[in-house]
Amino acid sequence: MTHGRTRFIAGFLVIPVLLYLVYVISPYAQAFYIAMTNWRGVNANPEFVGLENFRRLLDDSVFWTAVGHNLLLLILLPLGTISIALFFAYLLNAGGGRRGVDGVRGSGFYRVVFFFPQVLAVAIIAVLFQQVFRPDRGGMLNGPLTALGLEPIGFLSDPRIALWSVLGVLIWQAVGFYVVLFSAGMASIPQELYEAAQIDGAGRVPMFFRVTLPLLWDTVQVGWIYLGIAALDAFAVVWVMTAEQGGPDHSTTVIAAEIYRNAFDYFKFGYASAMGVVLFFFTIAFAALAMRLSRRERIEF
Amino acid sequence: MDKVSDRTTRRGARRGAHRASRQGLRRAFDRAFRRPAHRPEGQVPRRPEPSPRLSRTAVRRERKVRLGPLSHLSHAALVIWTILVVVPLAWTFLASFKSEDEIFSGAWTMPAAPRFDNWARAWDQAHVGQYFLNSVIVVAFSTFGTMLLGSMAAYVLARYRFRGNRAIYLLFVSGLAFPVYLALTPLFFVVQNIGNIPVIGPFLGLNTHGGLILVYIAYSLPFTVFFLAAFFRTLPTAVAEAAFVDGASHTRVFFQIMLPMARPGIVSVTIFNVLGQWNQYQLPLVLLSGEARDKWVLTQGIASISTSAGYDADWSALFAALSMAILPMLIIYSVFQRQIQAGLTAGAVK
Amino acid sequence: MSSTPLTRRQLLRSAVAAGTLLPFAAACATPVGGGAGGAGQAPAAGTVSAANPLGVPEGAPFEVVIFDGGFGDAYARNVHEPLFRTRHPKVRIKHTATKEVAKTLQPRFAGGNPPEFVNNSGDNAMDFGALIQDGQVADLTPLLDAPSWDDPNVKVRDTLLPTAIEFGTYDGTFHVLPYANTVWGIWYSTKLFRENGWQVPKTWDEFLALCETIKRSGRAAPFTYAGKHPFYIYETILTLAAKIGGPDVLRNIDNLADGAWAAEPLRQAAAAWAEVGAKYLMQGTAGLDHVQTQTAHNKYQVAMLPNGSWLENEQKDSTPDDFGYAMFPLPSFSSSDAMPYGTLHARPGEEYFVSARSANPRAGMEYLRAMLSKEGAGRFTEMVSTLTVVQGAEGRDLSPGLRSAAAALKAAGDNTVYFRFRQWYAELHDEVAAATGQLMNGRLTPDAWAERIQRKSDRLKNDSSVKKFQR
Repeated sequence: MTHGRTRFIAGFLVIPVLLYLVYVISPYAQAFYIAMTNWRGVNANPEFVGLENFRRLLDDSVFWTAVGHNLLLLILLPLGTISIALFFAYLLNAGGGRRGVDGVRGSGFYRVVFFFPQVLAVAIIAVLFQQVFRPDRGGMLNGPLTALGLEPIGFLSDPRIALWSVLGVLIWQAVGFYVVLFSAGMASIPQELYEAAQIDGAGRVPMFFRVTLPLLWDTVQVGWIYLGIAALDAFAVVWVMTAEQGGPDHSTTVIAAEIYRNAFDYFKFGYASAMGVVLFFFTIAFAALAMRLSRRERIEF
Repeated sequence: MDKVSDRTTRRGARRGAHRASRQGLRRAFDRAFRRPAHRPEGQVPRRPEPSPRLSRTAVRRERKVRLGPLSHLSHAALVIWTILVVVPLAWTFLASFKSEDEIFSGAWTMPAAPRFDNWARAWDQAHVGQYFLNSVIVVAFSTFGTMLLGSMAAYVLARYRFRGNRAIYLLFVSGLAFPVYLALTPLFFVVQNIGNIPVIGPFLGLNTHGGLILVYIAYSLPFTVFFLAAFFRTLPTAVAEAAFVDGASHTRVFFQIMLPMARPGIVSVTIFNVLGQWNQYQLPLVLLSGEARDKWVLTQGIASISTSAGYDADWSALFAALSMAILPMLIIYSVFQRQIQAGLTAGAVK
Repeated sequence: MSSTPLTRRQLLRSAVAAGTLLPFAAACATPVGGGAGGAGQAPAAGTVSAANPLGVPEGAPFEVVIFDGGFGDAYARNVHEPLFRTRHPKVRIKHTATKEVAKTLQPRFAGGNPPEFVNNSGDNAMDFGALIQDGQVADLTPLLDAPSWDDPNVKVRDTLLPTAIEFGTYDGTFHVLPYANTVWGIWYSTKLFRENGWQVPKTWDEFLALCETIKRSGRAAPFTYAGKHPFYIYETILTLAAKIGGPDVLRNIDNLADGAWAAEPLRQAAAAWAEVGAKYLMQGTAGLDHVQTQTAHNKYQVAMLPNGSWLENEQKDSTPDDFGYAMFPLPSFSSSDAMPYGTLHARPGEEYFVSARSANPRAGMEYLRAMLSKEGAGRFTEMVSTLTVVQGAEGRDLSPGLRSAAAALKAAGDNTVYFRFRQWYAELHDEVAAATGQLMNGRLTPDAWAERIQRKSDRLKNDSSVKKFQR
């Protein structure tokens, strides 16, 4: 059976691997090199400066502000999204019904509607919410406020609130997906377990924590990792929706935005690549941390 | 048939649990969506089938609604979130029919007369239709390419033993850890250089859909390979072995036997990829410049319209453009939601 | 699970393995050195003659990219391009208009096939410093020494305002042509002021009193600025500082001098405007963009707006007919101001350049020569209500706003101030804008504001990768 086996393996692998090397590995490898130059354009010869960019990065308060924001998102985005999604998924699967455990009425409808934000591209949502958050009479939220005579809320112009607006939009988009994901997970939990718990006199809330959540833990972990990576990679919402593209006054900037700005607005490619290298190490650290923390006993049923 | 047994043992413990939940899910969805239970040949169920009496449909039939206090709260919460989701979308749709002044003077006023010219302007001047089409073309081709190449690579990596297997697999998987932003700058130049290759260059360089598609495929490979490799590893060997004995070639076995068996996983990853690639903003931003406006995808197109709306003060056209971008997606999703939700989760939950 | 740490190690190991494939990958595609893809072409050249002093090759096309902003692009299509074609009928012009110059053109500059003629302006303008550092911008001295479009006996150099040449000079070489002569000031509606009996303030106290009066009347908000683009207000602060302390205040800032931002005039100006920000701003200012504030201005919702002389043209579609645009210079802060009343921030603006690495740069220069003709400049002025740097080409019929600006410019005489760091150092501009936004909403004190910007200025000074300019 070995005839043609090598040919087969090679044939199936050559295109994907080649594509991958050229478009992914090669740029990453070069990025590490560029990060050690002070390259500012195409034909100016890049000068090797060693770790100079990184040294300057240490001093760059805007960059570290961005890092801080990413870390904040890293914690809050998964936490917020997963909590809300678990809550709704539970309601849709086990929140109603008399005998046995079933979802509330109309759970199918809710599942469909909740997923709406997922089918819209993030950049489009950013544009949409820019209008929702407008500070004048034309804004969806501030219009009624000003009509009532109240001060408009600077969702995007108040540096204390802007980051929360960004977080809110990210959660708004993400929740629906996880509601569906967790719903599917919950649906596979056999009714016997719920009924056993009900016989023991457990109400819905304890049932959630003692039956549903442990059995769903795998899925929750996967969700946590995806959302964590989304938090580290946040770009479109910040770049499109916020004032000064990361403002006002750097109050919403994230690493990805700073990289883009330094590379394509200031043409400081070397410096931007250095930022990318730092982001890379953060991502690796996060992945490592996530894998270590995920070593929890799995319950088989 | 080669078995990558050592990998199975090492990951076997984890996979075992995943397998269980995956099977359970599949069964649950088969029940819920009334499709005949699809059990891969030769696989022993991990636990006895729950009795049909307790199937979801049966329970639903017998269910009586009890309106306890929790029920009221649950309904309220669900309704609130529904409002949160629907209202911004509905508001955008409403605003797309208003005139400039009406938008400026009050957010929630009804338009005096529906202004369809906003939509006409958005279509003509803002080229939303073109952007939409471009997005569809790019995502269609790149998803197809990703799934084809990704499944091919994943299959070989999952089920064949050869030198360098582990290295290549880890190469792909490590891509998951790398942030795209690190590669943006050099990627820009790589694509540009490729554009300078004679003959095929003009189709694959900057400002081409071909170039963008190849980049999308390359960057979707890590996740696809990772996921599908795991999936392929769980498929049984019996059927394939029989086919080999009958003289089928490796390629035949892959396309005619293994791929169909892996359908749930494939569907799931396809949906993931479509969603992810539809969402893409920074890659087209970098690779499709303002020069090639007619090639822009929807995300960058709408983002750019919001900038120009700032200059033109043509907010009504912006809302119309937004509505044009949003509505088709909502409609398509609503029509296919059952399949999408099933596909997403059947193979995805680990 | 014992698999986890192993997997993690292997993950990292694979990253190293990726590195060993570098030679193979790098051979595939490197940016360094290989990026000069299309730049190997020699620029086209034609024969020099009396009618063609710059040697434009007949029949070779070239490309014109115009920023479609306050001035639109009709002036290029309807005035300058036809004018060019009267003398070079065989040259085909490809015209592109964009609202985002950097997004549209940066890849082309990086790729070695830039357009010949670029109007680099607007919020998304490319970084001049970076472009020049990269050798992308052609030396326009041949243009200056060429005979002017209208009179072959007069050099182009002598038809321009000297500030225009000063402004276009980077490192001693004339690279960029600033075409419009823009004047900044506080804009108002003569109709609104007349109806309410409000007077144009000449001193700072009068200005504050006027704001108070307007606020009490409830008729309109006293003041606003484009909150999302704090440039509009930082320009005003810097102008006031120069009025108080003289033009050197701004020169020091441009030169990244130590302690430039700690100068007392700057602090006073910042504090003065911060006070206005605290008391007299229109509701929601911080979140509005320039068009929103300008539209509110047109609707008489706000009385005063700091802006430049392009304002009238930018708003021409939504201005009521009897609005009566007019501007006044910044009021005197105190009697000990270094510069007299009437001092204006006026400088050539709206920059155009020719790409050094394009295919047909001579055509680009010739196009500029056409723009600098009396007809080109005069009709531009009439069309977009903005003065140009071409002397004696004011055009005939001036709109009210333009008339007001021209009068103010005349009254100012030599007392005009300007700053250049906005073109030189995009990073510094971003930081000043960010800090000023916070100054105006009260979150930064004037001292903190100055300190923060000074820190950025110092960092920039020590950044060896950024090219520095001096004036």
